[in-house]
Amino acid sequence: MNLKFIKKGDIIMIAVIIIAAAVFMLWNNSKTEAVQAVITVDGEVVKTVDLGNIKEKITFIPATEPRVLITAENGKIRFESAECEDKLCVACGNLSKHGDTAVCLPSKTVITVTGSDVDAVVY
Amino acid sequence: MKKTAVAIVIIIAAALVAFLAYDGTVNKEITSDFFSMNTYSTVKLKGAESDEAAEEIRSLTEKLDTEILSRTSSKSVVSVLNKNGGGNAEKISDYLNVLFDVCKKSGGAFDFTLGAVSDLWSFSSNPVLPDETAIKDALSHSGYDKMKFDGKEIDYSDKAAVIDFGGAGKGIALDEIKTVLENKKIREAVVSIGGSVLLMGDKKFTVGIRNPEGNSGSYIAKLHIPEGCVSTSGSYEQQFEFGGRKYHHILDPETGYPVDNGLLSVTIVSDSGILTDALSTACFVLGYEKGKELAENYGCGVVFVTEEKKVYAENGAENYIEITDNAYTLVMQ
Repeated sequence: MNLKFIKKGDIIMIAVIIIAAAVFMLWNNSKTEAVQAVITVDGEVVKTVDLGNIKEKITFIPATEPRVLITAENGKIRFESAECEDKLCVACGNLSKHGDTAVCLPSKTVITVTGSDVDAVVY
Repeated sequence: MKKTAVAIVIIIAAALVAFLAYDGTVNKEITSDFFSMNTYSTVKLKGAESDEAAEEIRSLTEKLDTEILSRTSSKSVVSVLNKNGGGNAEKISDYLNVLFDVCKKSGGAFDFTLGAVSDLWSFSSNPVLPDETAIKDALSHSGYDKMKFDGKEIDYSDKAAVIDFGGAGKGIALDEIKTVLENKKIREAVVSIGGSVLLMGDKKFTVGIRNPEGNSGSYIAKLHIPEGCVSTSGSYEQQFEFGGRKYHHILDPETGYPVDNGLLSVTIVSDSGILTDALSTACFVLGYEKGKELAENYGCGVVFVTEEKKVYAENGAENYIEITDNAYTLVMQ
């Protein structure tokens, strides 16, 4: 084969680049997307919980008035109890899927599981 | 080898120049959330002026509530009107024009003068059923047809009537926010004020209709729609159980009691926030048949979700709805 402009070194270089790119893509795809829960109080993030990596039950009481008790275990998180009047946040139950959200209006506390596949949810 | 090396250097240099020349702020993306209007709101913006716009949205919403719409803030326009039984309403005349129109076209199924009745209902953890006589009395002092509005002045012929923008306040906020965003360098926006949503941008958006039995992030269907406004009225939002019966916050203006017609939620899609909010309530009260006609009258897409887990999508909504929860069935009429 008479390859006037391409030399052996060029082919090796191109091959190395292609293999490196393929290895990077495979590595990148193999990463499983972490299911994270973000707890905010009045718009400020106060705690982030990696739901896929909980060894012991987590209990968390943010500094709010009225107080709320948040628990997380085995890939799920919830408002366990609340000192507010309506307790709508507790009624939301366990949050485990991407986009799951529970809001406690009186304490301005929100738990959101990150990574929803919609732009918004109407309610 | 030498030529290849030169080519690689040129490519890297070009990429570097392009990278440095690129104005990263054009695609600046921010997400923020806040509490105001007694609800939870989220703002997602893309564009050079995202930070400024988000801050402006926050202050605008607070101002709109405390200075115009709130019934708890004694100096708001609505509070002053309620206190005096009417007066100068120029600041809210645009809103009133739309709301009176929905009141009339819905035959009173939507009525923003029911404040005295809704005040009797409490949705705390220790609920008490309001006294029947008190409801009847409050109803007798309510009704949009008792109001006279000439475009500037509003006159409550019954001074005990109470205007309440609760059924349209979030939509009003979305319309005002839209004006702010149109004057800023924003390419894309998704704003949710307590679950009523404004979409702006050239893409096709995906909006979930909330699962009536789930948390506020879980949904039963997706709407694939261009920019506009979407609003839902759902019986699951504020409710309590008493004597084995469930009571929710959407009141029938005729009886003063929660609507009981087999619906769980009604979602409206249109260009106007105030209209989507008012119509979702009106269509919920009217039920499927009449609600569908009213939405058609306004040229709005509408989705009804029933207690039997049936979904009716009408006025074009059938073309952009996708059911994502197998427990629910889309019904073709």
